Amino acid sequence: MELDSDEKELKAAGAEPLDGGRLGLRIRGWEIESRKFPILNSSLLQQWEQKLQTSHFPEMIFGESSLVLKHVNSGVKIHFNAFDALLGWKQESLPPVEVPAAAQWKFRSKPDHQVILDYDYTFTTPYCGTDSIETNAKPGRGARWEDCDEKIDMVALASKEPILFYDEVILYEDELADSGVSLLTVKVRVMPSGWFLLLRFWLRVDGVLMRLRETRMHCIFGESSLPIILREICWREATFQALSLKGYPTDSASYNDPGIICKRLPIIMHKTQKLSIT
Amino acid sequence: MSDLDRQIEQLKRCEPLTESEVKALCLKAMEILVEESNVQRVDAPVTICGDIHGQFYDMKELFKVGGDCPQTNYLFLGDFVDRGFYSVETFLLLLALKVRYPDRITLIRGNHESRQITQVYGFYDECLRKYGSVNVWRYCTDIFDYLSLSALIENKIFSVHGGLSPSISTLDQIRTIDRKQEVPHDGAMCDLLWSDPEDIVDGWGLSPRGAGFLFGGSVVTSFNHSNNIDYICRAHQLVMEGYKWMFNNQIVTVWSAPNYCYRCGNVAAILQLDENLEKQFRVFEAAPQESRGAPAKKPPPDYFL
Repeated sequence: MELDSDEKELKAAGAEPLDGGRLGLRIRGWEIESRKFPILNSSLLQQWEQKLQTSHFPEMIFGESSLVLKHVNSGVKIHFNAFDALLGWKQESLPPVEVPAAAQWKFRSKPDHQVILDYDYTFTTPYCGTDSIETNAKPGRGARWEDCDEKIDMVALASKEPILFYDEVILYEDELADSGVSLLTVKVRVMPSGWFLLLRFWLRVDGVLMRLRETRMHCIFGESSLPIILREICWREATFQALSLKGYPTDSASYNDPGIICKRLPIIMHKTQKLSIT
Repeated sequence: MSDLDRQIEQLKRCEPLTESEVKALCLKAMEILVEESNVQRVDAPVTICGDIHGQFYDMKELFKVGGDCPQTNYLFLGDFVDRGFYSVETFLLLLALKVRYPDRITLIRGNHESRQITQVYGFYDECLRKYGSVNVWRYCTDIFDYLSLSALIENKIFSVHGGLSPSISTLDQIRTIDRKQEVPHDGAMCDLLWSDPEDIVDGWGLSPRGAGFLFGGSVVTSFNHSNNIDYICRAHQLVMEGYKWMFNNQIVTVWSAPNYCYRCGNVAAILQLDENLEKQFRVFEAAPQESRGAPAKKPPPDYFL
């Protein structure tokens, strides 16, 4: 049978696609899979309400979608899912952000029995992925992220190595009732030399502020039995007012793609960490 | 075949009209819409549809399920534009049907039928891309100002895009609104297009955004009672199953954009009422991938950093 070019590339890199119609591949001791499903239906959402003890959720939760990266021999598993991200949102529990119209609304006569809801409707989350050790691995093995001085090698990542697998998984999304966007996605690319991923929380409250919280992870395939994984966490934030003082445009339509405008948002937190497996 | 019939056939193939045709169509539509009440009377049988959001090929699925206009009498609850790829063709087809069969289709205004919102969420850019100028966007947004704010079916079912307002307790109060303007940032007209029912409040709630009302079951009970209506039918919020009852069947949300934004995987619904107001929800799915010009599902590899 003639192999097509994709299959030849996979074979040359020692990779094979996952079986059973699953999206992803096996490569150099890793199993990398993306799972994409529709948004949660009402009955699943009710279960989440119970489990997370809240009735406030993003309007689109891709609750069964995930990205999973498993290092089979060491048992190291890194995965990304909406549930853990929303747990983070609940714990961080930021105060609500008022939209520009709120100023006018303060002068409206209040109806009787008015309740003011005060949860963080932007669903801002400190989530930077979930890591665990599969139980069939060496007993007593643990893994934790430790700050380090190394940096992810962006120059090497900029080289046009063939991409053997690429995918983007949306975890949740909310239109903030047409006042902006809140979006949590993770994208991954797997090359012959290693894998690289970007988890991005993107928030734009029109006329008020933008928040970009990004986690990048890079693993270079090596000979060692334990994988070496670096992650870089970078949080950026700016108000529309601050952008206007710097002379940048302040219409929301200029801020649709966080990849393009991220440099305009000042960094408020940055750290690099390495996964230490013991 | 008249020009209008030819334009309808063309729009049904998702081919937009020329700028001058749009201008003429909007002028004719304006003459019809200006005569409509803020609480437009609608006779049963009628089929009620929620948000469409420019998903033209999914709206064609809707017509397959619900039947063609004018054989079927339709009520659309707004949000024709933004988000999807074909806001221009979607809105113009509905508007052309309105001009051709004014008594067989009713269009009311959603919060996206606004100059401000369409500049952020797609319709403005789509007009600019498809026509090379913003004239078509201007003609359409001028027409938005003439769309009615609500409908009343056989005096028994109140239909609106968003929901209720603390400034409004009777339908007559809606009738006195001067609607021919851009959707304001607050007040009764804004609330009708923007507010949402909410389980966890009983009376009125204020959104954590600091703008936007939420209303509870007791508000709906008292509104329905004072206006002698059976229930409220509204749209505005995505519901995975296409429709959702709340507060002991006093209000129902109908959502008619399947696979919303081409990625949510939800089903959509329309509500058919017969001459006795007997209800039947018709649930439908998105148009098959190959029948519409939407981008392929598999994203192209991207050297993101």
